[in-house]
Amino acid sequence: MSRQLACKRSDVPDAGLKECGLEDGQKVLIANSGEDYYACQATCPHQEVALCEGLYDGTVLTCHQHLWQWDIRSGAPIGLAELPLETYRTQIEGDAIYVVSPGGLDLGELFSGIADATMGRIASLARTEQIGPGGTLYRIGDPADDFFVLQSGRIEFVIGRDDRTSPAGFALRKGEMCGWAALIDGQPRRIARATCLEATSVLRINGRETLGVLEADPASGYTVMRRLASLIARYLAPSGAK
Amino acid sequence: MRVELNARNRAYQFDAAPGERLLYAGLAQGIHLPYECGTGTCGTCKARLTAGEVEDLWPEAAGRAYLKQPGEFLMCQASARTAVSLEVPTFVYGIDPGACCPAPASGALCNPRCLTHDVMAFSVDLHRPIDFDAGQFVAMEFPEVRGYRGYSMVNFERGARRLDFLVKQKPGGGASTWLFNAAREGSNVKLFAPLGSATFFPGLAKNILCIAGGSGIAGMMSILERARQERYFQQHDGHVYFGVRTMEDAFYLEELSAFRRESAERLHVTIALSDAPVPPSARERYPDLDFDHGLVHEVAARHMKGRYQNIRAYLAGPPPAVDAAIRVLLLQAKLTTDQIRYDKFS
Repeated sequence: MSRQLACKRSDVPDAGLKECGLEDGQKVLIANSGEDYYACQATCPHQEVALCEGLYDGTVLTCHQHLWQWDIRSGAPIGLAELPLETYRTQIEGDAIYVVSPGGLDLGELFSGIADATMGRIASLARTEQIGPGGTLYRIGDPADDFFVLQSGRIEFVIGRDDRTSPAGFALRKGEMCGWAALIDGQPRRIARATCLEATSVLRINGRETLGVLEADPASGYTVMRRLASLIARYLAPSGAK
Repeated sequence: MRVELNARNRAYQFDAAPGERLLYAGLAQGIHLPYECGTGTCGTCKARLTAGEVEDLWPEAAGRAYLKQPGEFLMCQASARTAVSLEVPTFVYGIDPGACCPAPASGALCNPRCLTHDVMAFSVDLHRPIDFDAGQFVAMEFPEVRGYRGYSMVNFERGARRLDFLVKQKPGGGASTWLFNAAREGSNVKLFAPLGSATFFPGLAKNILCIAGGSGIAGMMSILERARQERYFQQHDGHVYFGVRTMEDAFYLEELSAFRRESAERLHVTIALSDAPVPPSARERYPDLDFDHGLVHEVAARHMKGRYQNIRAYLAGPPPAVDAAIRVLLLQAKLTTDQIRYDKFS
């Protein structure tokens, strides 16, 4: 986790947006909700359009290009958006706004925003693993005990059964998870092969132990399961579901 | 040429002939590749080449401004030189069974006629009939003018043998200059059709709001025609806002009046004049229409206050007018994005 100065509070208009360059060269978007300041990636995950040119009503940010929308507080997609925004925690000191880059589970699409204590327990289950280019995370038919959250690098999938396999398509992005069978009853085996296209860093987390943690905090468990359900549905949706 | 496409949800394979635009090849084979304008301006069909070689058919395309990373190109302006592998950053599904699958078509240009000093109507007699949905458009290529342009259908019928279009004369616009400057009757044109997702179906069962600037009224006329055929405005409300500069720039007022008269008074049509107050003669001549002075999105916002229940909005026109209307609908009217349909041309 790294903390960097983003801008001054006075730089961000009331209920407005401000794009800021960070010391490390990254850009972030700071949004003023009236009460709080939120920070997220500065460009739309769809077509890399600058989000500071978007529409913002104090809660919902809309990219003006194709009307993808997000809840600025969580980065969660709304409406037509197919991907979440990467968010950063903000810290206010006097007039200065600092942003803290996310890391670990925090950037995961599944867990962001759940209770801190529960997040901490799941984080304690996670082991970081580095895999080289061409390395295999799992093969079709392997036991599905663990799931993975991508920290950096790229993972590609081949889906299938027996000899009939086909490429699943695009590679995973940072923060996305794979191996969700580990969180679902009655799915003991992998149905895909996951291969790392480049040097890749993942968090490996045991599914059964995670379910145990979530059973002790049903509110967080409900959030995670809802997200997991919509994640899976996204891959099953018929065309024109938008 | 074999094309392998990796989308975020799965992979697809399709074939593209030499010189065939990759976007059109994929769409014609039932793969709903991402696009909006289909003609090189919006940047939505951006893809990344991971293997093989493509030919860029229009290196000056405005949509190239959206290309950021090495290897990126516009599928609507590229053909395959070799077998290629592409990546697109979105979810891609098959085209809905039952939707009109786009395909190459051709026809003869006919009946060009001026509606105002800078808006012309023309038709294309198709060599083979096509099906399209109300609100869709075609990509059209004229002889002697390089590349395709998008034009929305004005008419609506199934198995259409003739398509009606509007074109606005743009200073320096290659296609509109070609159309306006000489008698083009009988010229052969190439089409790729139909395109676009700003479609209307009677099964929608919502009140509809159309906000159009200038020649953007074309697709709205198609929607109104389909609604008329299905007696849609016996059951639902319609609100049409048509923005032009002055009465001299207005057209289709008789046609819009006729739609209104057939609607059990549930269709309201307002002409918004941006550059001049409403002359008294306008209301006398067109008693079925309303007139107001102002930019079309401002007029619509004033009139529509409190009338956004169960609504679907269709937008078309010059990009700044569409953007302004989106702003009003999202920020003032608090519509959600899935209630708004438009096809982006910039």
